[in-house]
Amino acid sequence: MATDKTNLQLVVNGILNENPIFRLVLSMCPAVGISTTVMNGFMLGIAVLFVQVFSSCTIAIFKNKIHPRIRIPTYTLTIATWVTVIDMVLAAYLPEAYARMGIFVKLIVAFAIITMRLEMFACKESVTASFWDGIGMGLGFMFGMMALGFVRELLGLGTILGYDVLGFKPLLFFVLPFAGFFCVGLMMGFFNWIELRYKRAKQGA
Amino acid sequence: MKDIATIIFRLTISCLLAGLVMGAAFVFTNKAKLHNAEQREQQVMLGLLGYSAAAPAPETLALHPLHRYIVTSGETSAIGYLVPVKGREQAGAVFVEISLDGAFLGQQPVSLAAGQAAEAGARDAAIAAALGAGKSLRYADQTIIVTEAGKRRAYLLSGEFPGFKTFIDVVLALDPAFTVLGLEIMEHEEDPGLGGEIVQGYFKNQFQGKTFEALKKLGVVKTPLPEEYRRALEPAKGGEAISPEEIARVQALYQDKDIYALTGATISSRAVTSGVKAIAGKFAYRLAILDKVLAEQHIAVPF
Repeated sequence: MATDKTNLQLVVNGILNENPIFRLVLSMCPAVGISTTVMNGFMLGIAVLFVQVFSSCTIAIFKNKIHPRIRIPTYTLTIATWVTVIDMVLAAYLPEAYARMGIFVKLIVAFAIITMRLEMFACKESVTASFWDGIGMGLGFMFGMMALGFVRELLGLGTILGYDVLGFKPLLFFVLPFAGFFCVGLMMGFFNWIELRYKRAKQGA
Repeated sequence: MKDIATIIFRLTISCLLAGLVMGAAFVFTNKAKLHNAEQREQQVMLGLLGYSAAAPAPETLALHPLHRYIVTSGETSAIGYLVPVKGREQAGAVFVEISLDGAFLGQQPVSLAAGQAAEAGARDAAIAAALGAGKSLRYADQTIIVTEAGKRRAYLLSGEFPGFKTFIDVVLALDPAFTVLGLEIMEHEEDPGLGGEIVQGYFKNQFQGKTFEALKKLGVVKTPLPEEYRRALEPAKGGEAISPEEIARVQALYQDKDIYALTGATISSRAVTSGVKAIAGKFAYRLAILDKVLAEQHIAVPF
């Protein structure tokens, strides 16, 4: 079974139609816990993008060799391997970036979105399609995290990317973990509302 | 039966492959990683003493490592220090054994080639050879004693204590009266955005200037950090520049105050505070004993 989408459609699909945070509602732990600033969202997004692409390609290459009953251990092993490798490479060759990203990378092993994408997509599709799907999912996750981070940083700390924009702190509770749930819920509703408006406009035309 | 064999075979192969990939990555990256870590540590240590690329350290500044070991022979344990010898720091050292209640037990000369003291493996082997059979050796920690023109200038203590999630690695700089010169977080895995904020200046710089007496009864309060204090703690951040006199004035104002906890990370804040207290307290106790023994035995040290 091969997907009938083009590569571009696969990427867009990951960002909009099947956005990991607002549509699939996966990986809520990082979405709630870490999306406190735009920079945090961006860093985690980059790290997830790499792990997702590498893991998707690996599983797509070996999909015929994986026994269907032991898929999950194999996926976990694949993800853990790539996370470890990326962690080591970053620490060795990009120490500056690692100083800021290091704590994010190790968290990725347990992300639901990556396992789910391997299960739903990579184990059925070709390597090329999996690669583009991985890119799309990674970018979608990054977009979601940055959008959440934008709202929470602006409302909670009054800054964007660390620069003081408002000059005061409107609602400090937005940077606390529980406000992540409010934010995810409100933004999910917001995106659904936009989609609904869009569909209605289309129908009316 | 056939399925069992296939599953075992395939999982084994997957694990072997994963191991191969990770092992290869480790072999290729480990040297660079260690090099980075070492460089960073050097930088951090000089930074804590107030030196940077713009203000380089003077020639007379010297860093003397002091390695602490736990020596066990049979049922009894003792503390052992590897102390460099005055005048020939590069070549030799003395291993001083002190019992747990602070009495001098013995000293053995340890022959170390240049640079060997920095390598854990070679150093342990040399000490074990000097001690002879029947005693087992366990490495405890390392302290760096900083001297400037022969006089003690500061102590750099590496330490580790449990945080909210895993261990937090720190370097703590103390002056000869055990007043905190600075604190740097080397490695931690606290939650980003919450406990991870311990690396920010507005938290870790709060320890600066705390005297040993203040440190003993230092606590954590959950009141908001006053704005003027935050500005003094992070002078590089924020719009308008503040004069060094202003920073010193505000620092003095808050010197005897408790540590202001991070919002949403009380456990991490408490962990760092009690960790720092423990490191400084234990070190002051041990150093007093070591200094007494060194003076009684007339062991000449470069610090």
